[in-house]
Amino acid sequence: MPRVLEKAKILETQREAEGIHRLVLYAPRIVPTARPGQFVMIRVASEGSDPLLSRPFSFHRLHKDDGLFEILLRVVGTGTRILSQRPPGSTLDVVGPLGRGFTPPSGPGETVALVAGGIGIAPLWALLDELTAKTHKNHRDQLYVFYGARTRTELVPLSPLKRLGVSLVVSTDDGSAGEQATVVEALARRHETGMVPLDRLYACGSLPMQVSLARWASGRGILVEMSLESMMACGIGACLGCALPAVDPEDPQAERYVHVCTDGPVFDPGRIRWDKIQPVMARPLTSASPSGL
Amino acid sequence: MLTASGTFGYGLEFGDFVDLSRLGGVIVKGISLRPRPGNPPPRLAETPSGLLNAIGLENVGVEKFLTDKLPPLLKRGAVVLVNILGESVEEYGELARILSAEAGIAALEINISCPNVKEGGMAFGTDAAAAARVVAEVRKNTSLPLITKLSPNVTSIAEIARAVVEAGTDIVSCINTVSAMAVDPFSRRPKLANIIGGLSGPAVKPIALRCVYEVVRAVSCPVIGIGGIRTALDALEFLVVGACAVQVGTANFVRPTAALEILDGIERFLRTQGLRAVTDYIGTLDTQCRFPFAEEACPV
Ligand SMILES: Cc1cc2nc3c(=O)[nH]c(=O)nc-3n(C[C@H](O)[C@H](O)[C@H](O)COP(=O)(O)OP(=O)(O)OC[C@H]3O[C@@H](n4cnc5c(N)ncnc54)[C@H](O)[C@@H]3O)c2cc1C
Ligand SMILES: Cc1cc2nc3c(=O)[nH]c(=O)nc-3n(C[C@H](O)[C@H](O)[C@H](O)COP(=O)(O)O)c2cc1C
Ligand code: FES
Repeated sequence: MPRVLEKAKILETQREAEGIHRLVLYAPRIVPTARPGQFVMIRVASEGSDPLLSRPFSFHRLHKDDGLFEILLRVVGTGTRILSQRPPGSTLDVVGPLGRGFTPPSGPGETVALVAGGIGIAPLWALLDELTAKTHKNHRDQLYVFYGARTRTELVPLSPLKRLGVSLVVSTDDGSAGEQATVVEALARRHETGMVPLDRLYACGSLPMQVSLARWASGRGILVEMSLESMMACGIGACLGCALPAVDPEDPQAERYVHVCTDGPVFDPGRIRWDKIQPVMARPLTSASPSGL
Repeated sequence: MLTASGTFGYGLEFGDFVDLSRLGGVIVKGISLRPRPGNPPPRLAETPSGLLNAIGLENVGVEKFLTDKLPPLLKRGAVVLVNILGESVEEYGELARILSAEAGIAALEINISCPNVKEGGMAFGTDAAAAARVVAEVRKNTSLPLITKLSPNVTSIAEIARAVVEAGTDIVSCINTVSAMAVDPFSRRPKLANIIGGLSGPAVKPIALRCVYEVVRAVSCPVIGIGGIRTALDALEFLVVGACAVQVGTANFVRPTAALEILDGIERFLRTQGLRAVTDYIGTLDTQCRFPFAEEACPV
C-alpha cells in the first residue's frame, strides 16, 4: 500500500467540544487505501521552519467514495492550536496512510467493546463506522462503546453515536455526564458482573488509561488492541524516534523496542513493557500546568 | 546531493516518495558490528526550528544490514554509502573489513561522534589523536572511498579535520548533531530520557556553515556540508562557502521528498544565474561583506 505526500484541502472545520476540533480534508490519493487505526502526518507550519515537525493524527472518519477523511484534534500545544485555526479552503501537507490499523473481528459472532478516553474516540470512530457497515451491520447490539472524558464539556456530541444503534456507556471523572467513573471502571463493572461478555476490545486514550486497561485486561482471555502514542519525527520508520519498550518473547530481560509508526500505532498491550514506560511517562503531564506560559 | 545518516533510515522507507536512483547517494543509518537496541524513550523533543534526538544509534547490525537492507536498496538503483560506528578502534576496523568484502557499497562514512567505550566513553571525534587512530584503522582495512564525519562539539574542528586527513580519509563531512538539552520547566525534568541529545535542523545551520568554512580552509580534500539544510538556498550557502556536496538530514522527516526538491532548486538556481556547472559556484565566497546584504531579488 503506497504512502503518499499530498496537499490536502480543508473543506470544513468544526468545534466539537471544549478544545476539540474536527477538520474535514480532501485527500483523494491517501484515502483509498486508508484503514481505521492508521494515521497521517500533518505539517503545521505553512511557511518557515517553526514548528519544524509534522504532527501525527489518526483517521477519525473515512469517506472513501468522496476522497475525504476527518481528523478530530485536541488542542494541547502550538501545533494543534495552529491547525485548529486553519480556515476552510486552505491546504495542508499530509503524508499517509501510515502505520498498522486495527484488526477487524473475525465475524458477527464476536462481542466487541470500544473503549475511548477523551480524544481517544478519534480513531475508534472510524473503526465503529467500519464495524457497523460490515461485520456487525446486523448485530449492532453486540457492539459496546465506552466513552469517557474528564468532564461533560470535553465530550463530543453524542447523538451521532446514539444513532448508530450501538450500546453506548458514557462516563466522566466528575460525574457531570453519564456515570461518575473512568472508562475502565465503567467497563470493568459491567464485565465483572456478567452484563457485558467480551471477545474483543479496542481502546485508545491517555497513558494512565492505557496502563490501567492493559492491567485489567491481561489474563482475561480477551483480544485487546490499543492505539498508542509516542513522540514522532517522521512517521515512516526512518528516525527510530518513536520507540516504546517492548517484551522480547525469547528473552524477557532483553532491552527491546517497538516503533509506534511502523509496528503500530495499534498494539496488543501484552507486547509493551508498561513497567518501563510508567516511571518516565505515566507521571502527571504538563497539561495540568497553567497555560499561556 | 546525499541523504544524511540516521535521517533516511535504510533508504527503503523512502521508496514510496523518492526515486532513490536520482540521489547522489543514500547514506544509511549508522551500522555497528552487533545490533543495538537504542536508548529508552522519549528519544525526541522539538525545539525552535530544531529537533533534539537521543536515538542511541539503534541499528540492525552489519550482518542483517548486508542480508536484508543492502540488496533491495541496490535493486532500486541507489548509490549506497554506509555510515559506521564502533565502540573501539578495532570495531571500526572490523566493520570496514566486512563491508569492503561486499559488492555494491560506494563509500564508507566514519561516524566518530560515538563514545569510546574502552577509554572512558568520551567521543572519538572530540580528540584529534583518537579520531586519527580510528581513521587509520579503517583505512588499513578498506580501499573504498573514505568519508570522515566530524562532530561540531569540539574546540577546534579545523584541528580534527587536519588530523583525520593526515590519517588517510579521502573526504570530510560536517557536521554531526550539536550536543544540546531541553527541559520541561513545570515537571522540572529533561525532555529526553537520555537527558542530553543531539540538535539538528534549521537551528544548527549557522553553526554548521561556520564549521564548513573553517574546515574548507584547513584541509585540501573535498568537504561535504551537513546541517539544517531545508531549502535549495540553504544548500547553496554551503556550496558557496566551499562544500562540494551536501547532505540533507532532518528535512527528510518534514517532507519525505525534500532531498530531490532541493536538488531541483539548486539546478534552477544555477540556470537562472547562467552557470553551466555547480563547480563554477562552489567555493566562490567573497569574504568582503558589503552593505546592503541583499542586492538582488531571490531567484529560487
Ligand atoms: C499515532 C498517533 C495518532 C494521534 N492521533 C491524534 C488524534 O487523532 N487527535 C489528536 O488530537 N491527537 C492525536 N495524537 C497526538 C498529537 O499528535 C499531539 O497532540 C500533537 O502532536 C501535539 O502537537 P502540539 O504542537 O500541539 O504540542 P506540543 O506543544 O509540541 O506538545 C504538547 C504535547 O504533545 C506531545 N507531542 C508533541 N509533538 C508530538 C508528536 N510529534 N507526536 C506525539 N506527541 C507529540 C508532547 O509530548 C506534549 O506532551 C496522535 C499521536 C500519535 C502518535
Ligand atoms: C534522528 C537522527 C538520527 C541520526 N543518526 C545518525 C547516525 O546514525 N550516524 C551519523 O553519523 N549521524 C546521525 N545523525 C546526524 C545527521 O546525519 C546529521 O549530521 C545532522 O542531523 C545534521 O543535519 P540536519 O540538520 O540536516 O539534520 C542523526 C540525526 C538525527 C536527527
Ligand atoms: S516516527 Fe520516525 S521512526 Fe517512527
